[in-house]
This record gives sequence, structure tokens and C-alpha cells, in this order.
Amino acid sequence: MTSNVKKEKKWFKPMFDFDDEEKPSKKIKTDKQIQKKQESNEIVENEVSETNTGGKEFIIKDHKHWMKTFEPVNVEDLAVHNKKVQEVEDWVKTVSNNNNSDMLLMTGPVGCGKTITLQVLAKKYGIRITEWITPLDIDIPSENGEYEFKQRQSVRFLDFLLNAANFTSLLDGNSKKLVLVEDFPNTFMRTPSEFTEVLLQYQQRAKSPIVFICSESHTDNKNSASNIFTPSLKEQFNIHHISFNSVAPTNLRAALKRVATIISKKHTAVYNTPTADVIECVVNSSAGDVRSAVLNLHFACLKGGSKQNMDTSIVHGKESKSKTTRKKKTSKFMSLGKDESVSILHGVGRVLNPKVIETDSGSKKFTHTPEDIVEQFISQPVSFVNFLEENYLPHFSNIDHVDKAASALSDSDLMLAEWREKMCQEYGLYNAVASLMLANKAPVSAWNPVRGPKNMKIQYPTVRELRLLEENYLYKGKILVSDYQTYCKIISNKTGT
Amino acid sequence: MSLWVDKHRPRDLMKLDYHKDQAVRLKSLVQQSDFPHLLVYGPSGAGKKTRIMCLLRELYGSGVERLRQETMTFTTPSNKKVEIMTVSSNYHIEVNPTDVGIHDRVVIMDLVKNVAQTHQIDSSGQREFKVVILNEVDDLTKDAQHALRRTMEKYVATCRLILIANSISRVIPAIRSRCLTIRVPAPTESEIASVLQLVCKKESLNLPSDLATRLAKAADRNLRRALLMCEACKVQQYPFTSDQKIPEPDWQQFIRDTASMILSEQTAKKLGEVRQKLYELIIHGVPPDMIFAGLLKELVRNCDMAMKCQVASHAANYEHRMRLGNKPIFHLEAFVAKFMAIYKKFVEESMGDVF
Repeated sequence: MTSNVKKEKKWFKPMFDFDDEEKPSKKIKTDKQIQKKQESNEIVENEVSETNTGGKEFIIKDHKHWMKTFEPVNVEDLAVHNKKVQEVEDWVKTVSNNNNSDMLLMTGPVGCGKTITLQVLAKKYGIRITEWITPLDIDIPSENGEYEFKQRQSVRFLDFLLNAANFTSLLDGNSKKLVLVEDFPNTFMRTPSEFTEVLLQYQQRAKSPIVFICSESHTDNKNSASNIFTPSLKEQFNIHHISFNSVAPTNLRAALKRVATIISKKHTAVYNTPTADVIECVVNSSAGDVRSAVLNLHFACLKGGSKQNMDTSIVHGKESKSKTTRKKKTSKFMSLGKDESVSILHGVGRVLNPKVIETDSGSKKFTHTPEDIVEQFISQPVSFVNFLEENYLPHFSNIDHVDKAASALSDSDLMLAEWREKMCQEYGLYNAVASLMLANKAPVSAWNPVRGPKNMKIQYPTVRELRLLEENYLYKGKILVSDYQTYCKIISNKTGT
Repeated sequence: MSLWVDKHRPRDLMKLDYHKDQAVRLKSLVQQSDFPHLLVYGPSGAGKKTRIMCLLRELYGSGVERLRQETMTFTTPSNKKVEIMTVSSNYHIEVNPTDVGIHDRVVIMDLVKNVAQTHQIDSSGQREFKVVILNEVDDLTKDAQHALRRTMEKYVATCRLILIANSISRVIPAIRSRCLTIRVPAPTESEIASVLQLVCKKESLNLPSDLATRLAKAADRNLRRALLMCEACKVQQYPFTSDQKIPEPDWQQFIRDTASMILSEQTAKKLGEVRQKLYELIIHGVPPDMIFAGLLKELVRNCDMAMKCQVASHAANYEHRMRLGNKPIFHLEAFVAKFMAIYKKFVEESMGDVF
């Protein structure tokens, strides 16, 4: 999306943008020239086909950016929280006036509107954004079989940044500019030190602010934000960090309503106007991701499918998903939406404070069944059970219940230790989750912050600490603790003084 | 100056103070110039290592006593570097593979391979094999034990293994059958007392026989502990009196405190506090099985006979699970919770009888 805006009035061409416009067409031409020479008959056909494809492309282009029509134009349209927008705006304002190499890092979950916030604000203040796109660098051997010499990725990256930051466009006569990096060259993932080098160069030589945008997810260990931007790095280069949260349901609803009005005004030919129910479903199923919400809405409103079909594919959930929504009934699309991902802390809460609802037939039932929870955490049973063990005690009041729970946890540890058997992992987790949910008949309702499991690294006394030990003798840690430690202290204290 | 334990350690098989019959047999074992892999087991402080060093001296001469320390580095399959301390002479190398936790398999395989691939320089006057001493074999992971089984067979020509364990119940049968198992029982209390007397004589001190017996009792048939206790006693008060205070290990005191906490109140909140105590014990390296034993000993003092049986059987059950599981704290806590539940019921019932 951004690249298209740029392409219209861009004098500065990134050296290695995907130049899929020029090269392939050239090739086609040469191919055609050869063909022309060979068979003159086919020229007409070729030309026809060329125009045809051109025409098609045009339609596709038009279509490809249907999402653009729903994109926010003004700051008010953003689904991001006002305060967050204000924070970014403040930074943009202060930075647009001085020619320093200020740095900003924006992080947040996918689809929470990081990029669009920056774009909208840049537009508002007339700042031109140049974005780095990591080129495909596949080495293709030249004709004599040798690989061409290629620049290192980090060198190209730095060159691009400096060019983009220091040279203004002749065409738009606008001196305000900003460099955006969303797509990090993967060499930095491997060697973060290279990135520090680049930043150092940039800080000394560039005259434009730079913005880094990183998506983060709590399950991803190779998180670029935390991996590259270490706290020390942030401090060294004075990088301002703004972190986004996923979009709140109310904001999301407002944004989707705006989309709905656009649909009803302009696009009635393609879409059915979404009802409030449909919007509600989309909000519930998108888990705070605006982009996916708009995509879902697009799919839900497309004309062609009968309305009844849509309704049947709405799954009526039995529970209310968050406490803030007043509606008890939340519904989701069967075929749409993301799977709900639950953080480990959330999961611990669900196990230790199980909510029970009464079904129509009068029997009681957990809102989150043990099966659901087990399903969420089956990939990390050991750490989840460790979390449970660390946190279950404050929720219990009766020692008999604790006994049951502790005994079950002991069983679980036994099962989880058998890592060769996959089923054991599942059973162990299930046992821990289900028995903790069931054991507690008299729960304590108090605010209990969730604690992480304790690091159980055993620290044996070192030989140096106990001076009296013989130097070249191999002592066992256990024995040092159980026998030597106490007495060595007594003996050395008395003889030392 | 060094501790009495180290200073007066016997260096010759014939000078050992107890199990003399066994010493003679060991001597005749090495006189035949070759011996099979050994698995020496017995409780802590019984004199396993002392016997092994005597054996090596018998085998190689005093050269085995010229020891040097060395830190060896091994690379695990996941490219992690693990360091381990070794003590070696020209003829043997000793290592605690459990120091590196779950990476013990790599250490065992690489170490034995390294040792086995280098032959002795002058095999004329010496034995043609080296000796690898592995400590705490019963605490090795199953993986490492299986690896050990293979290496034992493969390099039998150039190296002999001497394995040391507290109990062979946790050594896999395959290893047990490949080794000559030698049991070193703990010395009796009178044997400990006589050793204490002997050491004191060498230090030219006068040890009353009452105190010697008391020390032997307090040390729990652990000669090392008895000697350390004796030396600590000497430092605290000399000349000895037969009723002087014998210092006990810190952790025993700590466990006693924990036990009295458990007895004072049986609530979930108290259990939380007990857990912190248990954490502390574990982190300071007190072996969990010793915590179990210590707790049980203290707790059953306040129980009647029927309850004693019940508590002991639960303790045995949870201790067994702890051996099989990964996290000792889970099982310790489960035991404490179980005891609290039983004890609370017991107290409530006896209170009911009073009124």
C-alpha cells in the first residue's frame, strides 16, 4: 500500500525495490522480438494479448486495493486509542522540525494499527515516508558459472537509509522526510551487533528521523523487537519506544461502523450493508486485529451469498468473552476470525478461578472446560504446570483440598517426566488442570498476582569458600552441603581468629 | 592445614580401620594385574572413595597421589558448551558427571572416549589401562546410564571404570551386570568411635570414650561427619568433656524448624511459608531425599502408632514419585499437604474426645 503511494511521485528509487515493472516487461519484449522475427503471423495476437493482460491488471489493481477505500484518512478515523495517537503525534511534531537522526520504535501485536497511525500522521504533517524493503538476494551465477560479487546486506541497508534520509526529492519540493523500517534484513537477526554498527553510522551521518516498526507476539521467541532492540541499545541511541496494545472492542466497533457507512454510501454494488449483528460478530472474532476485522467484514458482506447462509455460519457462543461487554451472548463466525490465543497468565487464572455456569438443564458446567485449557497449552505442558504449582496455594482455604491438589500435581510431575511418551504429556497436563479446578471447593476470593515459577538452580558452595578443603580433591556438591559446610565454618572461624 | 578427614585418610589397603577382610580381597584382586569394571556402593561416609584410592595406589604406586585439577569443556549436540571439573593423575581421572545436570551423557561418552583413545606412554612397567572414576552414578539420567553401558563394552581394552553410587537400586541392571559390585557398608558406631580415638591419638589429643560414642551416634554412622564433628568439637572446646555440645549440621536445624512450622498450624497459608523454606533447602543443595527423611523423622515424633504408619507410607510413596519425576518441590509439598490434612483430622478428633 505504501509503496504505491510513493511510486507516483518518487525521484529516489530504492536500489533494490522489487522492480517487477521493468525487467520482466523488457524480457517479454525481447522474447517477442525474437518471436517477431520468427513468425510474423503471431504479432497481432501477441499484441492483443498484451493489451488484454494490461487491461486485466488494471482491474485487479483496482480490486487489489479495495481495502484502501476503508483505510482511515484522518486522525479521528484511527481505531487506535486516542492517547496512543497523541503520543506518536507528539513525537512526529517535535521531530519534523529539527534535522536530527531521532529514532522511534513502535511495537505491538499484529494489526493494531502501528503503520497506519504513522502514515496518517505523516500525511497530516506533510512528511514523506521512504520505506526500506528487503530485496530478494538470490545469487544467480553468471554465464561462466561464477557468482557475482554482492554487497553485504547491512551495507546496502545503511546506504539506503542514508540516501533516503539525506536527499530530498526534487519533485515534491518538500524537505520533511522520514525513513521507515518495518522489514528488517535478516542478517540482523543473526548478528544484532551489525545493527548497532548501522545505527551508529546513521546517527552520525543522517539528517532525518527514522521509525522502526516491529510486530510482536507473545508466543514468538524470535521476536524482532526484543531481539534487536535490547534495552541497552535503546538507551545508547536514545530510541523512543511506543508500544501499542491490541485494539479495544469499542474502538474496533467504531472503526467497523465507519467502514459500514462507507459501504452504504459508495459500495452498495459489491457489498450488502452489514448489520449491527454482523459487526458485533466480526469484533468478537478478530481479537483486536483491525486488519483481519476489515478482511472478515469484507468477506461477510460480499454480495452473492444469501443472507440466510451467513446467519447459519454464526456460532453462538455460550459465554461472554470479556467482562466489559454488556452483551452476555457473543457470537462468532464459523469460518472466520482468528483462533483465540490465551496467554499463560490468562490460562493460569482460568484454572485457579474456575467459573461455573448453570446450563438450561440445571447441571453445572465450567465456562472454560479443562479440555479447552489443555488444548491451549499442550505445546508447553511443563511450564504451564510449573506456573500452576507456583500459584495455586493462595486460592485455597481448606487443607484437605490443598492435599488433593498437591497430590494431583505430584502425579502430573510424574507423568510429565516421561517425555518419550507423548500421551503422558497430555494426561499430565489434563490431570493437573482438571484436579486443580475440581479440588478447590472453598476458594479464597482475593487478588493474587500470578508469579512465575521459581528458578531452582542449585548453588553448591565452591571449594574456595571453604578454605580448609584440600585443593586437589574432587568433592561432591551434595557432600559439601550435607557434611563439610557447617563444620568447615566452625573450624575455620575458630582457627582463623 | 587441612582437615582431619583428609589428613588421616588411610592410604594403604592394609591400613584401613574396618572391613579388613574386604581389604585383603581387594588387594588380591589387583595383584592379578587386571580387574573388571567396579561398581562400589554404600552409604555416604562409609569409605568408598578411600578404598578406591588405596586400590589405585596398590595398582599404580604413589604416582596416583600426584593429582591435578583441570576444567574440561564438552559440546552438547545442541551446541551448548558445558564445563566440568576433573581431578586426574597420570593413571586415572575422576569426575562428577551429575555436576552438568541433564548433559551428563555427553560428558560420560566424550570423557571415556578421550581417555580410552590415549594409551599409556610406557606400558612396560605399568598397566595398559587407565581408570575412570565416575561419582554419583545412581544420580545419572537414564540416558547417560545407557550410554555408559555401550562405552563400557567398547573401550574395555584401554580403560577401566570405577563407578561410585550410594545405592544400586537406581543403577540400571545392564550396568550392574557388567561390573563387579562391591558393597562398602557403613561402619558401626563402635568402629567409628575407635577411629575417632585413633585420630585423636595421632593429633595427640585425649578423647573421652563417652564423647566418642556420642559423636558416633550423632554422626548417623557417617565416618566423615563424625570426624568433622570431632574436629569442630575440638575447636569449640578443648580439653574435651564427655558432655560437651556436639554441633549439628545447619540443614538439620533448618529441617527441624520447618517441621515444627508444619506441626504448629495446618492451613494453606502455612503451607505457603513451608514451601519457601523447602525452596531454600533445595536451592542450597540439600538433597531432596535427605529433606524427606529429615522431615519424616521430625514429624512422626508427634504421632501415635497408627498415624506413624500412615505418614511413613505416604512419605515413601511421594519419595518414590520424586525419584521418577523432575521437580522435587512438587512431591515435597504434596507430602507436607498430606501430612497437614492427616494431622489436622487427628487433632480435631482428639479434641472431640476431650470434650
